[in-house]
This record gives sequence, structure tokens and C-alpha cells, in this order.
Amino acid sequence: MVKQKSNILMSVFRVFLVIAFVAAFIPDLNPARLSEIINRNASLFTSAISYDTVGRGFERALDREWIYQSTLVLTYVGAIVCMLAVGLVAAAFCMSLGNTRLKRRGLMASGGAALLGAIGIIMLFVAQAGFEGAPNPDRIAPMFPIGIYAFIAIFAALLVVSAAMWFILPQPSKEEDDKLSIEPKYSLFLMVLPFLVLVVLFAYLPLWGWRYAFFDYTPGFALAWEDFVGFKWFTSLFENAATRRDIVRVMTNTFALSGIGIATSWVPIVFAIFLSELRSNPFKRTVQTLTTIPNYISWVLVYSVAFALFSTEGFFNWMLISLGFVEEGKNFLIDGENMWFKMWAWGTWKGLGWGAIIYLASISSIDPQLYEAAMVDGAGRYRRMWHITVPGLMPTYFVLLLLSIANMLSNGLEQYLVFSNPATSAPIEVLDLYVFNLGIGDGGNIPLATMIGMLKSVISVVLLFAANKASKLIRGESIV
Amino acid sequence: MHTHLKKTLGDRMFSCLSGLFFVLFTLMCAFPIYYLFINTISDNRLVLAGQINLFPRGVHFENYLALLRVNDLFDATMISVSRTVLGTSIMVLTSAFIGYLVTQQKMLGRTIVYRFIVITMYFNAGLIPWFLNIMMLGLTNNFWGYIIPAMVQPFNIILVKTYIESLPKELEESAFIDGAGHFTVFRAIIMPLCKPILATIAVFGAVGHWNSFIDSIILMGARPELRTLQHLLYTYLNQATNLARLMQGGGNITAQDVQAALNGRIVSLTVAMVTIIPILLVYPFMQRYFQKGLMLGAVKG
Repeated sequence: MVKQKSNILMSVFRVFLVIAFVAAFIPDLNPARLSEIINRNASLFTSAISYDTVGRGFERALDREWIYQSTLVLTYVGAIVCMLAVGLVAAAFCMSLGNTRLKRRGLMASGGAALLGAIGIIMLFVAQAGFEGAPNPDRIAPMFPIGIYAFIAIFAALLVVSAAMWFILPQPSKEEDDKLSIEPKYSLFLMVLPFLVLVVLFAYLPLWGWRYAFFDYTPGFALAWEDFVGFKWFTSLFENAATRRDIVRVMTNTFALSGIGIATSWVPIVFAIFLSELRSNPFKRTVQTLTTIPNYISWVLVYSVAFALFSTEGFFNWMLISLGFVEEGKNFLIDGENMWFKMWAWGTWKGLGWGAIIYLASISSIDPQLYEAAMVDGAGRYRRMWHITVPGLMPTYFVLLLLSIANMLSNGLEQYLVFSNPATSAPIEVLDLYVFNLGIGDGGNIPLATMIGMLKSVISVVLLFAANKASKLIRGESIV
Repeated sequence: MHTHLKKTLGDRMFSCLSGLFFVLFTLMCAFPIYYLFINTISDNRLVLAGQINLFPRGVHFENYLALLRVNDLFDATMISVSRTVLGTSIMVLTSAFIGYLVTQQKMLGRTIVYRFIVITMYFNAGLIPWFLNIMMLGLTNNFWGYIIPAMVQPFNIILVKTYIESLPKELEESAFIDGAGHFTVFRAIIMPLCKPILATIAVFGAVGHWNSFIDSIILMGARPELRTLQHLLYTYLNQATNLARLMQGGGNITAQDVQAALNGRIVSLTVAMVTIIPILLVYPFMQRYFQKGLMLGAVKG
């Protein structure tokens, strides 16, 4: 009964620890934001890891002596001390998962964290007074952050809870090993926890950015509820004539380029089959080696190859002139004709050899007895290809085909970005590139770009599930 | 007899035609790199007149020496090299460690942890939210913006995990009985045994780091000294193409523009060559590992 009660209390204690930890990463609760000049998007954590977060924007104020440098440094040091306290909190959380002895250490750590935090908060209070009492407070916009109260509450709660737990928690029993220990299930979890945090930060947290799609967001300013616009950006996709025209063009490009890719997805199979039919092994190896090189070079390098070969001074013009097809060379890179075909050709140049490898591997795993039996039955080369090799490759082809259908909206950004210039961009601006141009390039419309990206992500996931379902129905095997 | 003869004739035709096709396509893949190379070592005047097409003439290495004097290029190379080395080693260690941890049956919520990581392969928030997020985390205009977001790679974790599961369990278990901890087992037993798979992901990770330029364009806008080599090359090529467009359009161009365009061509080609060389150097290793990696990729985690 006592044990159960202390378990519940222990969970409450852990919840407090987690709150204290998470609060350090929430910009609105940053206790170190003592002036409105300090970035609104900076959390306690960011304030503590770089002085730049605290000091940026005060260069002029320091020059004119509107504020003393020491005030800023004190703010920074206060933030560091508070962050160290939060680090102790994290350690206390880990210890709270151990045996009773370790748990008591954890209580000490959290109590220590509360005291250390108090020191940090006092420093921030002094710094705050420094801001208020600066030679020219009007120019440095001092403010009293709500975060200070929040952290006072958090540290006070920690102190109270850990003190209470100290008395409630039973003393380590005699049977218990007097070493500090922690059960493997918790220790393993704690080892993987930092990486889970990274996954949350870089894979899940971006989803929180979808909220920008519902606001009138201007870069550099924080989101405020007054700017909430609901589905304005969504409806503008259909109602705003200029946007609609863009979207129709971009979607046509996207589907056309993906469609061409899907329609020619059998080419690597033919490549692999014909290559495997050749007798000379050194020749095969050479072909394989040299045709996969382009797969490993970046699209910028592919473009530099295009630049070398197809500009006015390049090889292609030289060839055309020597063969007498044209009188004078021209720069093919700034020629917007047949862009879809050109993009397909470059994609094939880069990917064909690589794409064939997986089929070559599948061919080598086809049972040779099948070929022998077919030969005995008098099947010629083409019949063997058609009736044994091709069916043997179909399962692989099918999976790749489904995946490419699921990825229809993602043509990738790099290829089209590097080949874009004012003369060529209209026919190759695919969805990914459009989002890039709109949000990061000249477009400057982050909410609309976010909205489009969001729709694309959702549709892509649905397509992937559909492809998976189709695979299950047809082949009885899932692909993801 | 007659049919036999016809068959060999058909056979020969087949071999000739498909052999011809493969020779042509292979040339198409390899020739451009050779062409780049001869254009960077030949007499610059001949290069700019479009006279160097099949063989180098007037061989010199001035262009490469000239690059050493371009400050931008030195910075960019250092950034590219350090992000490749640091980013790849951290990514490989992380993948190996997580891959090892998720094979440990005793872990609290092991399956959930594993799925929580792997599922991130199948969705992403989109480019803009990703960028805003990195900005919020203070990693824009910051070298670590290249490294930290790329640390946890679910696909590589799947590869390592699958590989570890194929190893005999007894090795680990006997070490545990001898009193070794998880870190010791990981370092002394798992890491050495996993060398082949770690080499595979290292090679692919390194090529990925070396080749990526979108992140440099998006994240490092305010600090040009953090640009990667590929980003710099992209900038040069863009400038050269834009100048060419101006000239072909017959716009207002000066003799300086013409000179800049011509210089731009030589510099771009040389930088491109410098950027390709490391890929060609690690290429033999990739040849050895990529088929293996590909095959493992077919095995689902």
C-alpha cells in the first residue's frame, strides 16, 4: 500500500521533471527575454547556448551606451545557470527510474536543480533591474517576461515535491544491493532517449510548422492570433486567378514529368536483360561500372556536364557544325524547347545504369534450370527472355512501379532547380520547385508554400497507403 | 543445318546490335567527364573557341593553380570536406548505436521506439515547415545545420538492425555473462562485426553529404562562408548561364561581360572537375559495397 502510494507520487514527481525540461525549449516561457529586442523565437535553451541570441540587436545600444555590456552578460550567465539547472533536472529524471538508492540521489539532484535555478533566476532579476535602470531604457525596450514567474513556479514546485518525496520514499531496504542500479529496461530506454528527442525535433516537430498555413505570416515576426486566417490560403488556390493558373501549369508539369518517368520505367529492364545476354564478362563489368557513375554525381555536376557539352562553345555544337547540320552554334541551355523530353533524357542518363542493377541482381537469382528446360523444349533466345526472364523480373518491377506511382507528386527539387533559368523554367517548374520558389526563392509567400507542401504530404501518404493496399491485394505482400 | 546457320546469324546480329548500343551508352556516360577534364587542362583560348573536343591541346595546369587563389573556393572546399567527414562519422555511429539498441529485447517499449523512428521515413512535413523548424532551432547559418538534422537516418538504422539480427546471439550473451555493459558490448563486439554494413552506409552517407547543395542554399543564406562546394559551383554556373543569356538576347552587354562569361566558363569547368574527383576516388569502394547495400535494402526491417 505504501509502496503503491509512493509509486504514484514518483510518477507525479517525474511529470514535474518533464514539465521543467520541456519548458526550457518553449520560446514563450523564456525567462531570459528581458527586452523586446531579444528574439521572440528564442527559448531558454537557445539563449543559453549562444550569447548571440541575447546580444544580437544591441550593437547600437552598446555603442551609444544606452545599456551596459555587463547587463547583457549577466542575462546570458543567468540563462546558462538556469539551463544547467534544467540539465540537472534531466539527470534527476534518469535517476528516478533506478532502484531506491538511485531514486534518492535523483531527489537530491532535483532539489539541487531547484536551488541552482533559484540562483539563475536571481541573476535574471538583477539583470532585469539593469535593463530598467539603464541610461536610456526607452531605446532598449525592457520587459518582464512571464517566463520568470513560470520558472519560479517550476523550481519552487520541484523543491517542495522533492523534499516531500525525500520523507515519503522508503529507505533502501537491507536486501537491496547497496550499489546504485537501474533496471535494463529503463537504462536501455534512457540510452535511446536522446536520439528519440532528435527524431522528435527534426521529423515530428516540423509538422507543428503546418500551422503557418493558417496564418498571415510575415518572416521575421512571430505568429499572433490576430493573423489567423483559417482556410484563406487553401481557398486562394482555387479563387485567386493568378495562383490557379500557376497551380494548373505546375501540376501539368508534375504529372507530365512523372508520367513520362512511369511510362518509360521498363527501360532499365530492357537494359538489364540485354546486358545479361551478352557473353563477355569484362565487357559487362565495364558497362556496368561506367554507366553507374552518373548516379553518384550531384545534379549540380550533371548541370555542369550539360553546361560543358551544350553551351555555344560546347561539344554538341561542334558536332552539329562538323556534320554540317547547322551553320552556327547556339546555347541549348537557354532554349526552352522540348524541356520535358530533355529532363527525361537527363534523368535517364543519370539513372539508367543504376536502375538496371537491381534487375541484373534479380536476373542472376533466377533458377538456371528454367533456362535449361526451356532450351531442351526448343525455346529460342527471345522466347526464353520473354517467358522466363521477364516474368522473373515482374515482382521487382511491380514494387518499383507502385512506389513511383506513390511518389508521383515528388519529382524532386534538385534536377529542375539546376536546369531552371528564365528561358526554361516555365515547363519544368514542378510542385517541389514551385514550393521552393514560393517559400524560399522570390515568391516570399511562406503560408501558401506551407499549405501546398502540406497538401502534397497528405496526398503522398494516402497514395503510399493505396499502393501498399494494391500490392497486398494483387501480390499478397506489402511494400512498406 | 540451315536453321542452325540462321540461328547463329541472328545471334550474331543480336550481339552486334546490343553490343553497339551498350558501347554507345557507356561512351555517353563516360565521355562527358573526360571532356570536362580535357577542357580544364588545355590552352584556354582554344577551349573558349570550342576547339577542344576530342583531345587535349596545349596542356597546362594553370587553371587548377588559379583556383587555389580563389578564397571562396578554399572555404567551400573546407566546409564540404568537414561536413562530409564529420557528418558521415556521426551518422554512422548514431545508426550503429540505435541499430544495436533496438535489437535489445529488454528495452522498455522496444517495438514502439523502433516504429516511432522508422515511420518518419514515410512522411515529411514539407520543405518550408522543415526550414522554419531548423530556423527555430537556431541551426540556420550555422555549420551544425548540416550535421545534426542528418544524424538519425531511419533507413540506415533498419540496415544495421537487420544486420545485427543476423549475427549469432551467443557472442553478445557470453559477453553480458562476463559482466560487460552495453557500451562495452557495442564497442568491442558489435562494431567490429558490423564493419561491412557500416562501410556501406558510410560510403553512401559520404556521397550524400558531398553531393547535397539544397540545404546549403536554404539554410546558409546569410553566411556565404558556410556554402558547400556544390553550392558554389551552382552559383558559378548560374552566373555563367545568365551572362550567356544576356549575350544571346543581344541586351546591353559590355566587353567586361563577355570576358566575365568566358572566365566563368573556365572556372566553372575546373570547379566541376575538382568536385567530381573525390566521387571518382571513392567509386571503387562503392562498387564493392553498393550491391550489398542494395540487397540488404530489399530485406525489410
